[in-house]
Amino acid sequence: MPDPYRVLGVPPNATDEEVKAAYRKLAKKYHPDNYADSPLADLAGEKMKEVNEAYDQVVKERRNRGTGGRSGPYGSAGTGGSYGYTGGTGGSGFEDVRSLINAGRISDAEQILDGVPPEGRNAEWYFLKGAVLYRRGWLEEAYNDFSAACRMDPSNVEYRAAYAQVTNQRNGMYGGYNPNVPQYGGFGGCDLCTSLCVADLCCNCFGGDMYPWCC
Amino acid sequence: MVDLFGYVRPRKSELLVREWEAYRGVYCAMCRSLGKNYGAAAKLALNYDCTFYAVFLLSALPKPLPRFQTGRCAANPLKKCPFCRASGGEVENAAALTVLLAYHKVLDDLSDSGMWEKLLHLLPYPAVRRACRKAARSYPELAKIVSDAMERQREAERMEDPGIDLCAEPTAGMLARIFESAAAAGNEAGSPRARIFRRFGYCLGRWIYLMDAADDLADDVRTGAFNPFAVRFRIDARSAPQEIERARGYANGTLNQTLSQLGAAANLLEMNELGPIVRNVVFLGLPQMQKELLFKKEKTNARSL
Repeated sequence: MPDPYRVLGVPPNATDEEVKAAYRKLAKKYHPDNYADSPLADLAGEKMKEVNEAYDQVVKERRNRGTGGRSGPYGSAGTGGSYGYTGGTGGSGFEDVRSLINAGRISDAEQILDGVPPEGRNAEWYFLKGAVLYRRGWLEEAYNDFSAACRMDPSNVEYRAAYAQVTNQRNGMYGGYNPNVPQYGGFGGCDLCTSLCVADLCCNCFGGDMYPWCC
Repeated sequence: MVDLFGYVRPRKSELLVREWEAYRGVYCAMCRSLGKNYGAAAKLALNYDCTFYAVFLLSALPKPLPRFQTGRCAANPLKKCPFCRASGGEVENAAALTVLLAYHKVLDDLSDSGMWEKLLHLLPYPAVRRACRKAARSYPELAKIVSDAMERQREAERMEDPGIDLCAEPTAGMLARIFESAAAAGNEAGSPRARIFRRFGYCLGRWIYLMDAADDLADDVRTGAFNPFAVRFRIDARSAPQEIERARGYANGTLNQTLSQLGAAANLLEMNELGPIVRNVVFLGLPQMQKELLFKKEKTNARSL
């Protein structure tokens, strides 16, 4: 077991709040949502587990010392990715493909999918094909396939989650750039800062630099 | 064809001064290595993308940072600058990649241009070819990966209706293999480290290819050159400017999606003190590049660092 403080990246004399903040930051970083359909989901899951254990241990130690603290570990991605191709979603016609994807045998899964004739390609087929392409890094076609799966079966929660995920990624929620969201120094601008900056820009025309401390 | 040069940079305003100095130090070391191994003219091939590759390799070293030492700059002998003295061959590896890519760029320019331009492009050809042969002798695996990728790129662009993913695949696959083989030194293939490196390289290569394609869209439409986004949106010289705007917005979404995966891979990397530079590039520098190249009318900051 590695030193839990090292895992959390805080000194042993950090306050409870600092420990909690460090834990939250790491939990966000390795959150299964970031690794849905990624071939690295298992590695992120291990990291998440390590972070959860470290945090639990620190909290336990501190509670025994009577310094308080509350436990609340986030879920871990485990080994299968957060959508879990468990096949328990009601009458899956592609059990074999799901278990191949779960085992990381992407090209075998793809081979079976490609062997399905066009008339047998239902919403689930498009969803699984998208999942396979996504792992290979063919994000564009994966996006199109998830979207097709949702169109064919709009009520399916699994497909909608996958489609929502890629849509959010495209909008820059997981890194990148969104022209409709103001960015200042990568920390995300608040509305107040934005308006002050606009005011500052206007003021600059008249030679003033009014809010040098902002943003 | 991809023009692998200059999209992958840090956002300078967000680097600490010592991080910026370390970055400069690696840049200078690259320049020195190019000059020493491939002749003074090879320094002209120095670029930000291959410098990032060197920074990435150095950041993944388990031992503490390599030494930095001060020396005279070849471009300006009056100036003294610190440069990185890495002993593990990381900088030499990146310099070889620079030369190999430069050679294929010249080849590509030769095949794409008209007669008079051809004469112009022929000038650097012998020197670049000599340098490339030398790099290929020292790094045969790297040379093979690069030339395979260029071949597959030409095939992809000759296809009837290639998708965006298919067009990006050769460049993405090239960097995936390059990064994976860099990780494999001392690690068996399929190790967690090699898998993370591979995904990182794949997404980085994909991002570079798509960024270049989106950036060149307007020019390619005008000249009729191949462009995957023009194919996807059926844009030609007669299309309205709004069509190009729309395609750029779409390209931005595709780039964001790629960055989400790149960032996920970067978060799993164990990095030393150079790590913040790599993270700066991935989380700030590349989005900044999208903003500057796709949404700004005048491209001021993107041209020089």
